[in-house]
Amino acid sequence: MKQLLKTFKVAFQSIYKNKTRSLLTALGIIIGVAAVIMTISAGEGATQEVQGQISGLGTNLLMVATKSEHRGGIDVRMGRPIDEKDFDILQKNSVWISKLSPLIANGVRAIGPEGNKSTTIYGVASDYFDILSREIISGDIFSEEDVKAARKVCVIGETIKTELFAGEDPIGHQIRIDKVPFTIIGLLKEEGKGTMGQDQDDMLIAPYTTIQNRLYGRRRGYNMIMASAISEDHIEDAEIEITELLRESHRIIDGEEDDFEVTTQIELQEITGNITGILTLILGAIASISLIVGGIGIMNIMLVSVTERTREIGTRLAIGARESDILTQFLIEAIVLSLVGGIIGIALGIIGNQIIYKITDFYIPTAVNSILIGFGFSVLVGVVFGYFPARKAARLNPIDALRYE
Amino acid sequence: MPKKKVIETKKISRVFKNGDIQVRALSDIDIVIEEGEFVVIMGSSGSGKSTLLHILGCLDKPTSGDYYLDGVHVNSLNKNQLADIRNQKIGFIFQSYNLLPRTTALENVELPLVYDRSGRFSNSKELAKKALEQVGLGNRIYHKTNELSGGQQQRVAIARALVNNPALILSDEATGNLDSRSSIDIADLFVRLNNEGKTILMITHEPEIAQFAKRMIYLRDGRVLTDELIKNRSTKESALKDLEQTS
Ligand SMILES: Nc1ncnc2c1ncn2[C@@H]1O[C@H](COP(=O)(O)OP(=O)(O)OP(=O)(O)O)[C@@H](O)[C@H]1O
Ligand SMILES: [Mg+2]
Repeated sequence: MKQLLKTFKVAFQSIYKNKTRSLLTALGIIIGVAAVIMTISAGEGATQEVQGQISGLGTNLLMVATKSEHRGGIDVRMGRPIDEKDFDILQKNSVWISKLSPLIANGVRAIGPEGNKSTTIYGVASDYFDILSREIISGDIFSEEDVKAARKVCVIGETIKTELFAGEDPIGHQIRIDKVPFTIIGLLKEEGKGTMGQDQDDMLIAPYTTIQNRLYGRRRGYNMIMASAISEDHIEDAEIEITELLRESHRIIDGEEDDFEVTTQIELQEITGNITGILTLILGAIASISLIVGGIGIMNIMLVSVTERTREIGTRLAIGARESDILTQFLIEAIVLSLVGGIIGIALGIIGNQIIYKITDFYIPTAVNSILIGFGFSVLVGVVFGYFPARKAARLNPIDALRYE
Repeated sequence: MPKKKVIETKKISRVFKNGDIQVRALSDIDIVIEEGEFVVIMGSSGSGKSTLLHILGCLDKPTSGDYYLDGVHVNSLNKNQLADIRNQKIGFIFQSYNLLPRTTALENVELPLVYDRSGRFSNSKELAKKALEQVGLGNRIYHKTNELSGGQQQRVAIARALVNNPALILSDEATGNLDSRSSIDIADLFVRLNNEGKTILMITHEPEIAQFAKRMIYLRDGRVLTDELIKNRSTKESALKDLEQTS
């Protein structure tokens, strides 16, 4: 016990006397820990952000689209298009669906008083706004009346307002969409970047009837039908119901596959979960590299100082230190440096996350597991590379340790 | 009553192997050193003096042969027992000092006491100071190793070997880096320690210093060439007088 106290003193003196070496060792650990915390936290932050946006889509969302298959890199539609007939059947017969809207998307050129822009127009029913929880900050959405009458009205996103109206209030003004004049009746609340980085404010929304009647003709079918289940608990019921109704309407006999696909919110979350999982994996790989770099740094310092330290060990052995005294001393040194470096690294990692938040507005919650992983690994590296060379030296004959070069 | 044998070696040999090359540093060394002896080991460079002293100091092991220290068969001791012997029984002065860098003279001298498990010593700082004063370094105790001259470092190494009050002092060219006057001081210190009852083995190249000892072992090519008592031992006074005459 007394010997342990003395060894503690020796270890602390040794750290203090070899400031440069101690500092460099700690630095390796600091960099390793901070890098791991920042990369892993960024990965988790991104995952949470994406998942938040998906839930923001409206939790009860269901999407019905024609089945498509990947062929030579492009999606090829396999079944007959989803169309008005399907929409009517769902509207009339479904019990588990509360809101329903077709969706027709088209790339268009929009021309306003202050500029023009390639953008996307979405043809939808008025339920669409509820299904996706998109809010209007000025003006109003179009009514069912507007849809029935296929009026040339539209709601626009912030980006369109900026580029086509130079930021002026666009409500009541007209824009030309592929040469057809539309009256703007509402402005969408800004949403920012979407899951995949797309601008969710770069869009026009108009009644689907208008798109079909005035712009593209009726035969094309829909891109999809969007629906809300009556509650989150009944998403699956709604999915089964839609499947049954459409199989009947498409006259698919038992044993034959669906020619359409129903995707739910939950499935969407799983898909993006996979994507963000990959993202986390990539960031994890970067983190591992920074750990390895930090580890190699520590290893280098240890190897460079091994000659001097082996002689030191030889001297201590020669005047009567036991192997265990040497090992304890080096273990204490390694643990102290790892702990101090680790704590500073954690602090720097958290501060780094805050700085990124300040600069980019991307909030990164510092992940607890990143702290544990970074800290654990660095301590491991510090102890392994501090302890094992010392153990090797402590097992030599004192005279061989003294002669080491 | 015969005196106690402090050191007894039986056919000690030491062979160094470096790859295919073998160096036979010691061959069949048989020596007995009794308590209270003051022995000087001489011989040309490479004759195996340091190698022998390292084995006697339990810092190295013989390739063959047996070594008894205070009647204990050293070959069969484990590492911890050897460490404790080095710590408690032996004061070793290295040819190349082997001080810790960036460490004060005081801390260097204190070091053996850090590893003392016997609890014999209460105030290690005081003891270290006293040992430094003994070698004439009382005014340099807070100097770091790299702030001391070669001769001063050597004296720190001597103080370190004395601090744990060992019964056996092994000195490998303790005066190699000192001027004649300081060398005589150290030799005289050894004489006094010997008079106090310590057994001393020292290696030196200087005949004047060798003359302070009681017995001389001369090595050649790793073998004992001669082993005889010294007549006309020097004293501090006689040595200083000789020094004045030659200069
Ligand atoms: N670790 C070693 N590996 C190989 N050979 C060694 C080793 N140590 C000593 N030797 C060899 O053993 C022989 C004796 O060396 P030693 O150091 O004992 O000589 P010495 O008498 O002390 O010489 P000096 O007076 O120069 O100090 C020398 O030939 C030396 O080269
Ligand atoms: Mg030598």
